[in-house]
Amino acid sequence: MAKRKYTKSQLREAGQGYVFLSPTILTLLVFLIGPIIFALFLAFTRVQLLGDTSFTFVGFDNFTRMVDDTRALIALRNTAFYVVVVVPVQTILALVLAATLNAGLKGEKFFRIIYFLPTLTSSAVLVMIFMWMYRPDGFINSILGGVGLPTYNWINDPNIALISIMIMNIWATAPFFMVIYLAALQDIPDSLYEAADLDGANAVQKFWHVTVPLLRPVTGFAVIMGIIGTFQLFDQSYMFSGGSGGPDNSTLTVVLLIYQYAFAAYDQMGYAASLAVALAIVILAATLIQRKLQKDEEVY
Amino acid sequence: MKKANWLKVLGMGSLVTVAGVLTACGDGGNDAGGDGEEEVTIRLTGWQSSPTEQRYFEETIAAFEDEYPHINVQVDTIADQYMDVLRTRLIGGEAADVFFLDAFEAPGLIQSGVLEPLDDYITDEFDIEDFQEPLIDAFRRDDQLWGLPKDTSTLALFYNEDHLEEAGYDGPPETWEELEEMAETLTEGNRYGFGVVTDLARLKFIAESGGGQIVEDNRASFSDPSVLEALQPIVDMRNEKEIAASPADVGAEWGGDMFGTERASMIIEGNWMLEFMEDTFPDVNYGVAEIPTINGEQGSMAYTVSYSMNSASEHKDEAWQLIEFLTGKEGMEIWTSSGLALPSRESVAEELDYVDDELYAPFIEAASYATVWADDTNLPIINSNFENQFSSAFLGNRSLQEALEEAERVANNEIQD
Amino acid sequence: MKSQMNIAKLLLYAILTSYAIVTLIPFIWALSASFKPLNEILAGGLNFIPQEFTFNNYITIFTEQALFPRWLFNSVFVAVIGTALNLVFNSMAGYALARLTFPGKKTLFITILAVLMIPAQVTMIPNFLILKELGWLNSYQGLIIPGMVNATFIFMMRQFFVNFPREVEEAAAIDGLGRFGTFFRIVMPMAKPALAAQAIFVFMSFWNNFMAPLIIMTDASMYTLPVGLNAFQSDYATYWNYIMAASMVFTLPVLVIYIFFNRFFLRGLSFRGDK
Repeated sequence: MAKRKYTKSQLREAGQGYVFLSPTILTLLVFLIGPIIFALFLAFTRVQLLGDTSFTFVGFDNFTRMVDDTRALIALRNTAFYVVVVVPVQTILALVLAATLNAGLKGEKFFRIIYFLPTLTSSAVLVMIFMWMYRPDGFINSILGGVGLPTYNWINDPNIALISIMIMNIWATAPFFMVIYLAALQDIPDSLYEAADLDGANAVQKFWHVTVPLLRPVTGFAVIMGIIGTFQLFDQSYMFSGGSGGPDNSTLTVVLLIYQYAFAAYDQMGYAASLAVALAIVILAATLIQRKLQKDEEVY
Repeated sequence: MKKANWLKVLGMGSLVTVAGVLTACGDGGNDAGGDGEEEVTIRLTGWQSSPTEQRYFEETIAAFEDEYPHINVQVDTIADQYMDVLRTRLIGGEAADVFFLDAFEAPGLIQSGVLEPLDDYITDEFDIEDFQEPLIDAFRRDDQLWGLPKDTSTLALFYNEDHLEEAGYDGPPETWEELEEMAETLTEGNRYGFGVVTDLARLKFIAESGGGQIVEDNRASFSDPSVLEALQPIVDMRNEKEIAASPADVGAEWGGDMFGTERASMIIEGNWMLEFMEDTFPDVNYGVAEIPTINGEQGSMAYTVSYSMNSASEHKDEAWQLIEFLTGKEGMEIWTSSGLALPSRESVAEELDYVDDELYAPFIEAASYATVWADDTNLPIINSNFENQFSSAFLGNRSLQEALEEAERVANNEIQD
Repeated sequence: MKSQMNIAKLLLYAILTSYAIVTLIPFIWALSASFKPLNEILAGGLNFIPQEFTFNNYITIFTEQALFPRWLFNSVFVAVIGTALNLVFNSMAGYALARLTFPGKKTLFITILAVLMIPAQVTMIPNFLILKELGWLNSYQGLIIPGMVNATFIFMMRQFFVNFPREVEEAAAIDGLGRFGTFFRIVMPMAKPALAAQAIFVFMSFWNNFMAPLIIMTDASMYTLPVGLNAFQSDYATYWNYIMAASMVFTLPVLVIYIFFNRFFLRGLSFRGDK
């Protein structure tokens, strides 16, 4: 390998490149790459922070402990269930809404502003509003009861609580993906639709045979973003259950469990770090499987 | 104890503001030099449950600052998840000099070594013997004292007088059997005869009424047959007989809400309810009685909170002076004259005139036989697992035995030796 | 044929309108509750128009909650500073990755992409310990600095600059502007739509962030709005009238900003620069 000689201008450009990137490199090192290495170290230790801080190396103990940790398994089950339901539903809803909006009707802008409201609103505010509407004698039950449908104990019934969060989050995040779809839809040349018209395709056929295939890269992006986002469910579970993940562990998510072990009563940061590493592996696996299924490299 | 349920109608900010005003007032005396000592600011962290409570608390602090002109007290409150925040502050090295500490959480903090032992500060004059034994014992560990109980709260039975009258009863139940009978008569429509709060903090004395123990050797032992037997009636009242419900069942935030909106005719709650009812539901006619006896034995729960000192405090002597004043006879009298909490000192309890008040009497009586809500370092873990699983049995999703065996297994798995 | 078109249109309008109602109802219901006295709320009527219209809820939270304006300030401060830093640093990084050649560029680019895949929870715990060592717990910088660059937007800005016309920069170079001058005076102003979209999303991620302030802020006076609101809710557990009033107060500023900048959303998301 011969040593490359750099010209002056090349050197200058390299210098400029590093100057431009220096804030990024610094932040990445201190708050991302350093912490990732640190987290890997923590995952194999037992940490005590209160009083005299101590780190004790415990080998794979944290990881073997997970297998017997009932609450970790419950948290994983809840989170997986949440991902499997929310991601497809919100993606399909987003696509349908975007296509409807893109049909060239009047008032498109007005509807778009309205639909986007939940995405803008702080999750805390949405949780407050929904917790209140979900009360047994609250708005939703009054409406359901009024039209003769069954009512539920949305927040305190272990069989329902997670579904309540799903409904709320689909309602809140679908519009975000709708906007991404809209942007892509407006890039589809009209000529394609005109060609389909000549073939005598109706609106539904056009949607199914022109729009959906053309939007595949966007769908891939939406699904991956959805998977990454839903696996990290925390805010809503925390606020719904006052930090406990109840009733009966039904709203306990992996991230909430990590939070509890690290920052709440337990003071077991090492174990929490090992759970976080495990979660990262699960998310990575899920996205890789998705990419395999999609085989769409255009997204990245 | 979920602080969230204590209905803390409080502007935390106003407290900070007031603390500022108080400090400003305190400054006034300092030019005169007080007794020539250097001026010191002591930080005090706690929580407040109501504007009234806040007023009395400020009054107590003001009295202290009058007596010690060179010490300014800076008060701040943690509104939510008190222990998580306190722990984070202790880890970050920025906790206050003096803070509230619930007996339930005390062992864990004591063990971690962040508290200052108080034995060496205590003088004869302070009269430590005056404290009620079970309350002060909650803050003893390794033959040292780590906090002084600022007050206590107990549980009693609240009953809706109008409902009882309508049903033809001339007084509250005296035994648990009577309570069940009455609850059956009182239940109608969406009104339940009895409201149940399903926290272990409320149920512990019932669970242990058959001679079992919820915690043994710092590990959970719910599946003890006598514990199951003692708790089964509570579950049956909801699912078999349908004469009881929890606040969550009727969409109430907590017991006070359920009782105030007359969706429960009877409920076991603490003395913090008295002020809440007066403020929020003044039109409800209610009475208070001691909790009905179980197997002929009286029982209740007592909750207590200490003032404890941060071992990293830079002004330990002044911090002690503050604790000494607040838990001394004078300070405690000012504070508990509010009636919001009961004194933890015998002598103060005798002094105060609300002892004869018929609403307060049951709570004061209960103090003598109540189970103190405190155990050992693992009680928080045991408690959260109990709560999670007991509720599923209470909702009828599985048998009590199954639920509590699961809770015990999970809790003991989470406890690291 | 025509009637078919009309039916189709009607159907589309029906879909759009019903979903608009579904979206709006929670907000309108909360807004209406914020003007109702508590007893009317607890009575459980379904009336959107308050029977007893009152401003008391708003007055109460502002007079009895001195921390309210403070939380609002904290949120705005952290979000504005954080967004400004992100705009500058992400754009600089994206530009360098798109335009400049230097050793280690590929490695860096791949690292940034890899970072996109790492969930925040992995770094949350070590970050807490690092902030503790820096003495930044319970401080603004503890919230702002770790989030002052964002891998997603570095990536997006790089995409934007890859498609950026080189002629503009060449013209600037002929005029004697250096690399930095060109970037800040010529390139950045032309990237306005991309920056606007980025600004909105970064602003919202700071604005809505619940976990970071929950973990590092220990003084109520340092809370940002989401954490404050959650604490407020557990404080005023039964006072839905106050909680709804508080929620409305916190939602309004964002709504105003959104209606104002709405046009940038769609344009920015397509990342194609000024057409």
